[in-house]
Parts: sequence; structure tokens; C-alpha cells
Amino acid sequence: MVDQALLVLRIGVLVLLYVFVWRIARTAMRDVRGAQESMIIRPGQGFDAMPPVDRAPTPEPEPEPELPGRLLVVASDVLPVGAAIVLEASETLIGRDPHAAAMLEGDGFVSARHAIVRVRGTSTSVVDLGSTNGTFVNGERIAMETRLTPGDEVSVGSTHMLFEPGGRA
Amino acid sequence: MSVIRGYVDLPSRNRELGLIALALVITTAGFAAVQIARAQEFSSAPLIAALLFAFAYLVAHAVVRAALPDADPYVLPITAVLTALGLIEIYRISPQLARDQGIWMLLGLALFVGVVIAFREIRRLEELKYTCGAVAVGLLLLTIVLGTSVNGARLWIRVGGLQIQPGEFAKILLVVFLAGYLRERREVLAAPTRRVLGVGIPALRHTLPLLLLCGISLVLLVAMNDLGTSLLFFAIALAMIYVATGRLLYVGAGLGVFAIGALGAVQLTSHVQSRIDGWLNPWAVEQTSGYQIAQSIYTIADGGVLGAGFGRGLILNSAGGTIIPFAQTDFIFSVIANELGLVGAIALVLLYLLLAWRGFRIATAADDGFSKLLAAGLATAVAFQVFVIVGGVIRLLPLTGLTLPFVSYGGSSVTANFAIAGLLLCVSQRANRVRPL
Repeated sequence: MVDQALLVLRIGVLVLLYVFVWRIARTAMRDVRGAQESMIIRPGQGFDAMPPVDRAPTPEPEPEPELPGRLLVVASDVLPVGAAIVLEASETLIGRDPHAAAMLEGDGFVSARHAIVRVRGTSTSVVDLGSTNGTFVNGERIAMETRLTPGDEVSVGSTHMLFEPGGRA
Repeated sequence: MSVIRGYVDLPSRNRELGLIALALVITTAGFAAVQIARAQEFSSAPLIAALLFAFAYLVAHAVVRAALPDADPYVLPITAVLTALGLIEIYRISPQLARDQGIWMLLGLALFVGVVIAFREIRRLEELKYTCGAVAVGLLLLTIVLGTSVNGARLWIRVGGLQIQPGEFAKILLVVFLAGYLRERREVLAAPTRRVLGVGIPALRHTLPLLLLCGISLVLLVAMNDLGTSLLFFAIALAMIYVATGRLLYVGAGLGVFAIGALGAVQLTSHVQSRIDGWLNPWAVEQTSGYQIAQSIYTIADGGVLGAGFGRGLILNSAGGTIIPFAQTDFIFSVIANELGLVGAIALVLLYLLLAWRGFRIATAADDGFSKLLAAGLATAVAFQVFVIVGGVIRLLPLTGLTLPFVSYGGSSVTANFAIAGLLLCVSQRANRVRPL
């Protein structure tokens, strides 16, 4: 009896250890995709004068691509299919807020300030602003800022959008 | 306009909570197994230990939820599984030691909470860089003056009834100093103005404090006969200088100095020579200087692929002591490999791999030089320490005494590592936070 219990517990712990490792490896991989930024500090980065503690840092100027990326609406209860949200600012707000660049008024599953799409140089990412119903990339609810690769589907409430990167004409 | 965010609906934190719950299941099962093997019956003692463990981690999680809502959700659960594995195997060696380790864990989590609250805005730490550097050197000096020798290494100070290992804390302070200093000077170090034989050499006044501090640390550590820690400090400094400048020249020069230093140490001290002998052929010195490493190899081999099982490994001798001397500190990896086998040992290494990866990931995501350097330095510290001690006990490297982070028995090691986890979370909060538009 004791031997069987010990065998079950040992195998159980080993299996759970691998389940734990696998869950982190799987979900954490999904949080950040695409090319990694280098850990080595780039010239011009990191030797800014130290700002006062409470001030947000000024975003670094990055060369903008000549054509901004877009989010193309493929299905939505509140936006026409085929509409494009142009990601021309460094941060594009999605939500029911009247000031949102991507205004989804009338969709009860969308928070006022639901998510923002950030453009830094050639990298575009989406981050959820603590919305009630979540922001999804390719059907997975995102927990952290998630980098978008071309063709990714971003979903907010009933609206599903395909990411189309910017580039030179 | 500020973003109003709830306490409950935070996807990162919910993910963290889910993983902590899984860690708690592992903890409870492991404790129960050791208790069953020990007493041949079911008892409530492991359940109480698991409940205490759960309570401590849930408090830490609640504080992170309030203070660092966007911080990395993986670091805290990984520390939970590592700490649990250590506690379970230490409990298996001796319930008395496990009780102490449990108290260290609670103190460690208290320090973690303190760090999270005090350095929520991580840049506050940058202003303290010179203080940290001075305190680091002071701690090491104090160890030389007041230190007591254990096994030929002088790395402990006695305060009251407690033994403290200041090197563990000096390590973190050194990383903070280097992060602050290198952020300030990286420009002049990366792009020097003078050239000697076609190689850019930065002016001495920029490099002197750096060389001085690293030199002092190393001299102190060699004086303490603590080779593991001096190797670790050296690796941390080299890695951080590389991250700051991207110049391989510094790494090459550092490795050159290290090679000369290592050769000198072999020539001059018998301590190092005996470690090398024990590494190259432990069987020739099995009853003397190679005893520990030989017993470690036997213990690991005895575990096989799936292990002997909790409480069933051949860990203790007939007198009730451990077969490997100091199994609960330096050789805890061998004990885990014995009871959980190759499969369990690989899982343990994978957990450290995940922890190091999160640390470097936090460094790449950070948006300012200080945070980047701090996270990279701390991740290097943990990863390199694991490499050196695991490499030592499996005879991949000469054995140098270092603790296995979060797993080994020891108050200084456990509390210092929880401080590292807290700092990593603070850095990741800054990088991941949702900024108001």
C-alpha cells in the first residue's frame, strides 16, 4: 500500500513538473514572437539622463516606415467589413471611447479603453488595457504585450481584424 | 487621462495564480510522499507545511497583484516550484533542517515583498548605485575581518546564533552598482577616443573605478578562499560589461586575465590544486579530497532514470548523517537526482533554464539602460551559479562551493535569491506596464 502510494506520488510529481515547464514554455513563447530585440544596448540607447522617478520616459525616436501598417476588418457587428484602421500614430487606441482611433461604438463586449496597438520602428505589438472581455490574437487571449506578425488576427469584442504590416511603397 | 484597472481582471496575474496553484499541488504531493516514506503512514504534518507554503505564496502574489500588475507572470511560480523541491528534499534529509529552511523561505518572501514595494519604481535603485558598491565591498571586508572559517573557506559571519554569508548579498549589490555605473559610462567605454595598436582603449579615469571594484572583490574573495563566488563575480562583471558595450574585446581581455589568474591559483594554492585533482580523477583520491565528488557521482548514478522515489533514496548513513558531506547545501542537486532520477534532474535544470530565459527576456524588453543591465546581470548571476554548482556536482567542472538558488539549504542564499526575484519583477513591471496615452 505504502509502496503503491509512493510510486503514484513520484510519477505524479514528475509528470506535474513537466506539465509546469511545458505550460510556461508554451504560453511564454506566445507572448513574444518574431525577431527578438538584442539585449545589448544599442548606440544612442540607455544613456539618457535619468529622468525624475515619476515621469514616464520619452519614447525613443525611431525611423517610421513610409507606409503605416493597417488592421483590416474581416468581421464585425459595428464596423463595415473591409474597413481599415491605419496605424499611423505610435499608439493607436481601440475601444468605445469617442477619442479612440478605432472606435467600436455599440459593441457591449468592448471596454471604453480596450487595447492599444503600438508601433515602434518596424515592430508592431498589441497590448490589452485590462479590458473586461479581453483582447485576442489568433484566438488566444493575450496576457502581455504581444508582437504582431503579418496576417495575425486581432479580435476585440465582435470585431476581427487582420494585421497588415507597413513598408515602403 | 489615467487608465483605470481592476484588481481582479489582470490576465498576467491570473496566469501567475494558476501556475502557483500547480506549484502548490506539486508541493503537497512531494511532502506527502516523504512523510509516508518516513512514517509508513499518512499524517497531517506535510499538509500543514504545504498550507503554510501556500499561504506565504498567496500573500506574495496578492502584493504583486496590487503593486506590479503588469510584471512577468512566470518568475514567482518558478521560484515556488524550486523552493518546494528544495524544502521537500531537505525535509527528507532532516525535519529539523527543513523547519529552519521553512523560516528562511518566509523571511525570503518577506524580503521579496519589501523589495517589490520599495523598488516598484526600479529607477529609484539607480540613485543608490555608489552606496550599493560601497556596501558590497564593506560586507566582503567584514567577512575577512570577522569571518569564521568553515571547510577552509572564510565566508561566514556569526551574528548572535546566526551564520550569515555576506557574499550572497554582496553579489546583488555588485550587480546594482555595475548596472548604474555602466549605464552612466557605457558611451565612453563603448566608443573610446584613444587607440593603441589599432585597438580602442578607454581613458583610465572611466575604467578605474570599475577595475578597482572588481579587483577588490576578487582579491577579497581569493583571500577568503571562496573560489566559487569569485568566479561568479567575475562572470557577472564580464557579462554586464558586454551587455553595456557590445565589445568582444572586453570579454576576450577578461577571459585572458581569468586564464592567467586560474593558472596562478593552481600554482600557488593547494586548495585549488586539490579541487582539480578531485575533478580529473576522484577515484584516485576517493577517501580524501575526492570523497564528496565521488559520493555525489555514486548518489546520482544510484537514482537511475526515474529515481529511487521520495524518501527511498540512499541519502543517509547509519548514523543519520548524509552520505555526501553537506548534501543539503552544495550537493542538493545530487540528492534530487537520486530520488527523482534523471527525469527529475532534467526537469530541475529546465526550471532554471526557464527562469534565466525570463530574466534575459525581461532585460530585452526593458526600455532603459539601467533596467536592462540590472535584469541581465541578475539573470546571469542565477544562471551562472546554477551552471557552476550543477557542473561541479556532476563532475563537468572542478567543484566550487556555491548554493543552488532557491533549492539549497541556507538562509543567506534563500533570502538573497528572493530579493533577485523581486528586482526582476520590478524591472518587468516598468517594461510591460500599460502607459496612458
